[in-house]
Amino acid sequence: MKFKDYYEVLGVSKSATEDEIKVAYRKLARKYHPDVSKEPEAEDRFKEIGEAYAVLKDPEKRAAYDQVGSQARHGQDFTPPPNWDAGFEFSGSGFDGNYAGDQSEFFEALFGRHARSRQHQNINAKGQDHHAKVMIDLSDAYTGAKRSIALQMPSHDAQGRVTMQERVLDVTIPIGIHAGQHLRLSGQGAPGIGSGPAGDLYLEVSFKPNPLFRTEGRDVYMDLPVTPWEAALGATVSVPTPSGSVELKIPPGSNANRKLRLKGRGIPGTTPGDLYVVINIAIPPAESESAIEAYKAMAKAFDFNPRANMKGTS
Amino acid sequence: MSTSNLQIIESCIVEDDVQMSITELCHTTNADSELVIAWVYEGILTPQGNTPEDWRFSGDALQRAKKALVLARDLEINAPGVAMVLDLLDEISKLKR
Repeated sequence: MKFKDYYEVLGVSKSATEDEIKVAYRKLARKYHPDVSKEPEAEDRFKEIGEAYAVLKDPEKRAAYDQVGSQARHGQDFTPPPNWDAGFEFSGSGFDGNYAGDQSEFFEALFGRHARSRQHQNINAKGQDHHAKVMIDLSDAYTGAKRSIALQMPSHDAQGRVTMQERVLDVTIPIGIHAGQHLRLSGQGAPGIGSGPAGDLYLEVSFKPNPLFRTEGRDVYMDLPVTPWEAALGATVSVPTPSGSVELKIPPGSNANRKLRLKGRGIPGTTPGDLYVVINIAIPPAESESAIEAYKAMAKAFDFNPRANMKGTS
Repeated sequence: MSTSNLQIIESCIVEDDVQMSITELCHTTNADSELVIAWVYEGILTPQGNTPEDWRFSGDALQRAKKALVLARDLEINAPGVAMVLDLLDEISKLKR
């Protein structure tokens, strides 16, 4: 396990005041907010920042962290000394559950036990719901599928040490799911408290990158390269769609970026999405003598200036 | 690292097939019910039903509530502010299309 320097994460000095920490956190939280940030790895950074702030904003946790961290440097291998937290009493609710599941291994090793040990033994409640992200193939959304999904989660052994446990779930992927939607797996979250039922597991779905297809909600888009003569004269070409090859009629006079809609051939569902084929005109290279002649003949045959409507050209 | 394997698990699409009560939505997102109630009165979430006990949230509310919670918790934005940020985010994603 690597040591995390929470001061370095927030870019503040070890002697920073609570206000300085708050300001630094706010600034970084806005910069790396996953819904707005264009920074790469924004989400991971955002979590790291949140974790650092959760510790440093709380005087008790900050003091405990300073004690254990006085010798360690960021990124160094790190094992908390046994009973490092003896003598610290974490008041209140410890950590506010909101961060559960998002914490790093490092954080869990230091503070995890406190977050868990506060559960009362004599109440019955539904276990915590867990959340995870998974990537599936676009074709799974068209046909439905059974997929093995490996999830890693930190858990505590009898000595309270944190170990990463891998859990493999064989999951049915229902037809019609699309990116950004969630699958709910009943009873696959944390065990219930007392005689309460287990929590659920929510999987946020995204599609693995596909060289041919991209999606927007239920609609699927693909680029189709055609020759200039197919675009000008019209043609019937074979197109590989996610639901199999189709013969597609290209209307005469199709310009680049023209969208042809194949109704209902997007992601299936009660209202299925559409498939949009975007025309992309590919120009054959003028490499041979005859190709050059053909282009010259075209230039002669057409009285055509695509820039006629632009100012400053004639 | 240990590995455990289980039987095949049926799943359902939350956004299409699930309706949630306020208790379920709060449990899943870890949001306080007072926050969720404030978001409903701000029009961020639009459940069916008249009183909080009767409210039924569609599955779409899950994603929206998760986003709202991050804004409220990590940036300490109040309900009208969250509503505005979410509207602007919707606008941005519309423009990108």
